[in-house]
Amino acid sequence: MIPHNDQDDQLYRLLAAVAMQDRQAFRTLYDVTSPQLFGFALRVLHRENLAEEAVRDAFVSIWHAAPGYQMHLAPPLTWMVTIVRNKALHIRRRARADAGDDCLDIEAADGLADPSSGPADPAQLSRDARALARCMETLASRQRQAIGMAYLHGLSHDEVAARLELPVGTVKTWIRRGLVRLRDCLEQREAP
Amino acid sequence: MILRDLPALRNSPALRDRLAAEYALGTLRGGARRRFETWMRDDPALRDIVAGWQERLAALAELDLPATPPARVWAAIERRLDPGVIPPRTPWWQFWHSDVARPWGVLAVGACAAWLVLALSKTMPDMAPQSRQIAALSDAQSHTALVVTADTARGRLDVRVAEEVHVPTDRTLQLWAITRTGKPRSLGILPGNRSTDLALDARAIDPDVALLAISLEPKSGSPDPTGPTGPVLYKGSWANL
Repeated sequence: MIPHNDQDDQLYRLLAAVAMQDRQAFRTLYDVTSPQLFGFALRVLHRENLAEEAVRDAFVSIWHAAPGYQMHLAPPLTWMVTIVRNKALHIRRRARADAGDDCLDIEAADGLADPSSGPADPAQLSRDARALARCMETLASRQRQAIGMAYLHGLSHDEVAARLELPVGTVKTWIRRGLVRLRDCLEQREAP
Repeated sequence: MILRDLPALRNSPALRDRLAAEYALGTLRGGARRRFETWMRDDPALRDIVAGWQERLAALAELDLPATPPARVWAAIERRLDPGVIPPRTPWWQFWHSDVARPWGVLAVGACAAWLVLALSKTMPDMAPQSRQIAALSDAQSHTALVVTADTARGRLDVRVAEEVHVPTDRTLQLWAITRTGKPRSLGILPGNRSTDLALDARAIDPDVALLAISLEPKSGSPDPTGPTGPVLYKGSWANL
């Protein structure tokens, strides 16, 4: 698999060096990617201290897992986002399980956050992300919301249905149609 | 239930795609998720479909406003990587002595090198395709500067040096094979510090060799036959092709 773009290429080279225990490359990798990953963790967890924890745990895992990273399975940023997401969802589940305000805070903030709302400046996005942002706009807001709840908050079909007060079959269909539409939209953009 | 039915999964592109998307999104749960993971193990095409969905969804992370984490996050990462007192540094070529190193890790690094080399080979069209072993040697910033190919059929060691490598006129680049126990073996100096073709020394491709490295030495090579005296500029591991 060839890199999609220069950023992939740079991250790939950094990860190859990190796999060989190169701490300087690891620091560069952190500097280059942590703002995006921290922003993402904040979206999942809404709270700075929890998002910091997710990024910290994710980078410790990235250091240890880099030798096993395989370019042909996922571009570097996709691989790193997947690790951050796993750590963040784990912290989320723990926070929700702990009795107390964490749970209320997080769930209240979920309700406020529109998973589809993007950054103010589209010019700062990569081409892929810009295409995704445009394609997300073609979805019905309820489809976006359901996909966001599943991906960003780790909710099951049943949980999404309960939050939206809808039958589970309806939610499944929305999510499925939303994803297919997203993919078709992205593929059209990729075609010349 | 259709999810239990493997032939149905093999024969239905629509079902494969739906389950792959649910797997990547995280809504495929419990037994269904575990069964799907079993199928993925034996079905590379299915893994590719999942990877496609993971990539599309991961781009969602880019839609968030970037936020620089406070400095304490990096400090905490460093503490986790070096718990307690910072131990004396292991020489860089003995990285497998660290507790995270595994044999498969070395292999995976090799695979990474092979990929890099494939990317580089576009700019190096006459690289012999039948070569058996290949190594991409990178600097501390992980820029690949040299590609070394062992051609056992011809008994040659082909060394390609990137254009941007500049060596002071009174110095020379020396190539080393580093064994798993950390012992360097000289494979020779690079005449003129440019791409060259050396006789293949069997010690270069011994299974015992973990890494190749380039050091910067006086004109006639390292005065110490047992190892580099100058700085090690580039290193990389062998990958089998």
